[in-house]
Amino acid sequence: MSTTTKVVLGFTDGVEHELLVQPGHSVLDAALEGEVPILFQCRTGSCGSCLARLVEGKAEHRSGLAVSLLPGEREQGYRLLCATEPKGECRFSVAYDSAAGAGRPIEAKCFVNAVERIANDVIRFELELAEGYSMDFRPGQFIQIKVPGTEVVRSYSMATMASDLPRIELLIRILPGGIMSGWLENQAKPDDVVEIRGPYGQFFLKEKVREPHIMIAGGTGLAPMLSMLAALRRVPGRKPKTILSFGCQSPEGLFALDQLDLHQQWSPTLQVRIAVDRGTPPAGVQVGNPVEALTPADGLTPDSVAYLCGPPGMIAAARAHLEALGLAPGNIFAEQFVASN
Amino acid sequence: MNDQAPVRRRTVRVNEISTARMNDEKTQSQYQPYKDAAWGFVNHWYPALFSEELPEQAVEGIQIAGIPILLRRAAGKLYAIKDQCVHRGVRLSAKPTCFNDTSITCWYHGFNFDLASGVLNTIVANPDSKLIGKTGVTTYPVEEIAGMIFVFVREDDFPLEDVPPLAHDLPVRFPENNERFPHPLWPDAPGILDEGAVALGLHRTGQSNWRIACENGFDNAHILVHKDNAIVHAMDWVLPLGIVPDHEEPISLIEDEDGPKGMMQWLFTDRWKPILENPDLGLKIEGANSRFYRTSVVLPGCLMVENWPEDHVVQYEWYVPITDDLYEYWEVMVRICKTDDERKKFQYRFDNLYMPLCLRGFNDCDLYAREAMEEFYTDGTGWDDEQLVETDVSPVTWRKLASRWNRGIAKPGKGVTNATKTSSIRLRRLAQGKAPGYKVEKIENVNDY
Repeated sequence: MSTTTKVVLGFTDGVEHELLVQPGHSVLDAALEGEVPILFQCRTGSCGSCLARLVEGKAEHRSGLAVSLLPGEREQGYRLLCATEPKGECRFSVAYDSAAGAGRPIEAKCFVNAVERIANDVIRFELELAEGYSMDFRPGQFIQIKVPGTEVVRSYSMATMASDLPRIELLIRILPGGIMSGWLENQAKPDDVVEIRGPYGQFFLKEKVREPHIMIAGGTGLAPMLSMLAALRRVPGRKPKTILSFGCQSPEGLFALDQLDLHQQWSPTLQVRIAVDRGTPPAGVQVGNPVEALTPADGLTPDSVAYLCGPPGMIAAARAHLEALGLAPGNIFAEQFVASN
Repeated sequence: MNDQAPVRRRTVRVNEISTARMNDEKTQSQYQPYKDAAWGFVNHWYPALFSEELPEQAVEGIQIAGIPILLRRAAGKLYAIKDQCVHRGVRLSAKPTCFNDTSITCWYHGFNFDLASGVLNTIVANPDSKLIGKTGVTTYPVEEIAGMIFVFVREDDFPLEDVPPLAHDLPVRFPENNERFPHPLWPDAPGILDEGAVALGLHRTGQSNWRIACENGFDNAHILVHKDNAIVHAMDWVLPLGIVPDHEEPISLIEDEDGPKGMMQWLFTDRWKPILENPDLGLKIEGANSRFYRTSVVLPGCLMVENWPEDHVVQYEWYVPITDDLYEYWEVMVRICKTDDERKKFQYRFDNLYMPLCLRGFNDCDLYAREAMEEFYTDGTGWDDEQLVETDVSPVTWRKLASRWNRGIAKPGKGVTNATKTSSIRLRRLAQGKAPGYKVEKIENVNDY
């Protein structure tokens, strides 16, 4: 009689995954089948990446298989999961958390490279990770910054990509009386050091989507879109048709227009639409709002994906508008500005 | 006690150029992707070998845009796979080992790869390994046409269903483009895809960045370097000192949705003015015979010189990136030969006239010229400090359209031949008098090192 064996894998952050291992299969086989985030590489018992420690029960390496663990390590309970078959129910622990690998949040120190006003209420804030720090993130994610001299923390999306690291560019809206705004306007200067933490966020570019992409950005909500546009350009293979609709309140609030021009120049599949709520817009900019710039003429299908970033009102309007144009609600992803107290 | 480590600026400044780039002149930033393409463009069709270089059962290793590629012909079929074993990175082509016609074995530890799928299908001395079937090497689509082998050099994750036809990376064709690009002064240029097309030529390694080489090909001021070439004087050609733009649209873009992307220069029309004398310097071109020609270029860097060097013949050139400072220079003449007799005549003329006086002779001059320009650009200086002039409308237009239509920018080569300029093997080869090249050097005698 052959039945499956129950195995529990524990991560350092307390997350546990339960696996059912088929007879003749290794614990790693079962973990991969169940999409459990175990680090591994060679799958032949040699590289040592899938190291875990047996904390309960019995499990041995397949008999006759040469593995690269030292005898002493085995006695201490270490096993290579790709070569391990459980002998009855057992439990392993690994030395990393369940978000191992890409995108795990870190704390880091950064130098200020530039503080540049690019619109009446927007500052381009450029940071550079200090020596000894590294991080990874997905296009669309954000970091938290501690305002120097305070315990106040603010969140901003990266306008750059992970491949631009150690350089990080943020677009920050200046609010009258804001703590970060005050520091940026009055004190911040190149070579200052700030503390960051991140990356965070589930708002990031979904990979391998071929259907049209809609991006709607209000004000500094453009930042994650710039990161995603750069990432889309590097997608191998046919690029999805993409419409970016960017809106600001007034012509004085517009920024990054040169950069958007360049993106359009470099990406034949990208269309950029720019709108201001009021005032006399420069050439190529409409009066209106970025949500209504999308119309039935764009021929959106339910499979199209949309990314929205801006104030709550804009996001609610965009969601309703896009659903009316035929998008499936599950394909609309949003990140909204949260008011800081 | 203070246990906080001091916070330090990074000593190695990376991305310095990209920080500066947004402050650059707008034109420069318009072709930033091109400036980033030191290792070439990927996900394009490139010529890899002439058919005769890969007879039945042959294996050759080459490198394009920092990607090592192995070509093999077995049982009449052509295959191209990544020439880098997944196990420890050995180049399979250094000592070709094939136990059948459908696979190739790494000669070091016996990893055996299926040629069609790239999958690791056995290991010679470890046939029960758990790794079998779970990994493999990238495969590359191959086309053979008119005596040339083309490879689609793709990134590992470029989907095969997105591979465009070879024609999308070759020049526009005639007569189908006669209305769009009329040429009253010469007959329709043959195309390599035409029925009966025969391509004869050579390829050799040049020591400069592929972009420097490519821009030389259609730069209408560069023809000054050819002023003293033997063929020009033997044929008594009127080859101008230079050709300057004289119209608001001296160049037309080729951006059809379902075809090649590139540009056509309206040479020998009222849009470009040939300069035949410079009185200040007492220079005058006094040839007797006109030699009308026209250059166009398409992604990923394929030049067509119509009506060159004779009627009914066309010269194609490619500047295939190998690394950031090496390219494979392809010079190919194409003619339609309907009969064996025509083919023989073309071959004779190629061997005795085109090869010595055109592809060598005349084009040797271009190799000198590119090398002379290379060092200004090697460390980035030239890209920032070049002082362009009217005739540079050609390279600037090319840079912009290449920035827009490339299918991917090659990542700087890592773990591949000639990527580490100071590697001891590279230095030993140099000391042995062997310049870095395109093909993998094979281990000929296993009992001799």
